Amino acid sequence: MEEQMIQHTERLFQTTREIEGLYPHVHIWGWPIATYLFLGGLAAGILLFATLYYLKGKENDMPFTVKIAPIFTFIIISIGLMLLVYDLHHKLYVWRLFMTFRIESPMSWGAWTLVAVSILSLLWPLSYIDDIEAYLHERGWKKLDKITRFIRNLEHNWLIPRFIILTFRKYRKFFAYILLFLSIILGIYTGILLSAFNAHPLWNNPILGPLFLTSGVSTGSAFVMWLSNNKKERRLMSTIDMALIATELFFIIHMIMGMQAGPEAFKQAAHLFLGGEFTVIFWVVFVGMGLVLPFILEALELKGFHIPPALPAILVLIGGYIFRMIIVYAGQMSAYPF
Amino acid sequence: MNSYLAGFLLGLLIIAAYYISGEGLGSSGGYRDCVIATIHDVAPSYAEKNSFIAPRLQAGHSPSHTFLVYLLLGVIFGSIISAVLYGRLKWSIGKAPHITNKKRLYLALIGGILWGIGTQLGRGCTSGLVLSGMAVNSLSGYIGLVGIFGAGFVFAYIFKSIWIKTSKNKK
Repeated sequence: MEEQMIQHTERLFQTTREIEGLYPHVHIWGWPIATYLFLGGLAAGILLFATLYYLKGKENDMPFTVKIAPIFTFIIISIGLMLLVYDLHHKLYVWRLFMTFRIESPMSWGAWTLVAVSILSLLWPLSYIDDIEAYLHERGWKKLDKITRFIRNLEHNWLIPRFIILTFRKYRKFFAYILLFLSIILGIYTGILLSAFNAHPLWNNPILGPLFLTSGVSTGSAFVMWLSNNKKERRLMSTIDMALIATELFFIIHMIMGMQAGPEAFKQAAHLFLGGEFTVIFWVVFVGMGLVLPFILEALELKGFHIPPALPAILVLIGGYIFRMIIVYAGQMSAYPF
Repeated sequence: MNSYLAGFLLGLLIIAAYYISGEGLGSSGGYRDCVIATIHDVAPSYAEKNSFIAPRLQAGHSPSHTFLVYLLLGVIFGSIISAVLYGRLKWSIGKAPHITNKKRLYLALIGGILWGIGTQLGRGCTSGLVLSGMAVNSLSGYIGLVGIFGAGFVFAYIFKSIWIKTSKNKK
């Protein structure tokens, strides 16, 4: 009995190979992290468009982008945060991230940005509750009346929520600037978080941050394009998405060219996509079906062919998710040779 | 497109597939590999004991490295692009007007299950067994052709009331 207890509390390692998740390559992060990176990028993209078009004065021309889509961001970020906590080994120590701020740590930036963004992303749609209700009635979704009425009651009858929402409405422009800035940080941080790992050559390259931001904004535009019922909005988002996909392809090519021109460890990292384990899934599924095909479909739609907007949008979303999965898994496999 | 021309192009496609990938065309193999990989992920101990799944697991066919899986994806997306170009892309259930959508979907499900069982017993479907088999002059391909078309005639006679109005279901 006593011996068993010792076994639980103490372990002897003869070599580092016995430690779980280290051999033959590091495997600490799995699908929850990849999913979180995807959700973070998606939320950042949606908020970026909402605040940007609000600041451009398009709030009534693009109601879905500015007022409705941000409703989803709070839910998306919450799911992402739950996945992050789920991934922690000591889940109850999560508060420790919020007892400190380290300017040199992307994770610290991310933790604080997420808190600020999730609060603002909740307040943003709350401040538009009247417009949201009108929009829902217009589309015939009266089942959600109960929720909107509950929030309006909260606003009218309770002093503190009323004060918060009124203040937010009054200074919306100021908060829009902050949220725009934070959404860019959120989008780029998901990539920089990985590139800060200098032991993994695939992650440790400066293009990963901008690439993740572009991919996140692209998924955000796909999300808006998918669910909006306004033709102009859809067209605009589809055009923006095409430009973003082109930028992504540009970044990917340069990332791989840069690695190919680098030292041996970086060449090996690039080899994961050029003949190695992830070649087919990267080029066929992510680049082919997640970037090139939606680009072609969006181009055909702009030329006047009839295409359901859900199709390119879902392809972009799946592509973005697969991209995170590939980078998270492949990055852990890439290492400096012994 | 002229169906004879399409058939000729399909023949050229098989030659190209054999030349490029060393494998013929087929649609059931891709599904099988995906199903096997999923079962292995969900219930590894069951999969390793199962006499159908275990040998295929040992062969080490990961769906992400299987030609037939990508062939399936290509078929799906190629047909979408072709439908877009000819203005045919819309949601619909292809059926005869006199049966309900629900009935059509149930029948499709039953048909799909039979297709799954049949392709594994026959080691290939219409394209994998017959098309690719006949392309390499394999006897089983010709037998498969006779079997599929023969059974097709019999089944078409039995189930024709699903597709056309006969004296029985006319009211």
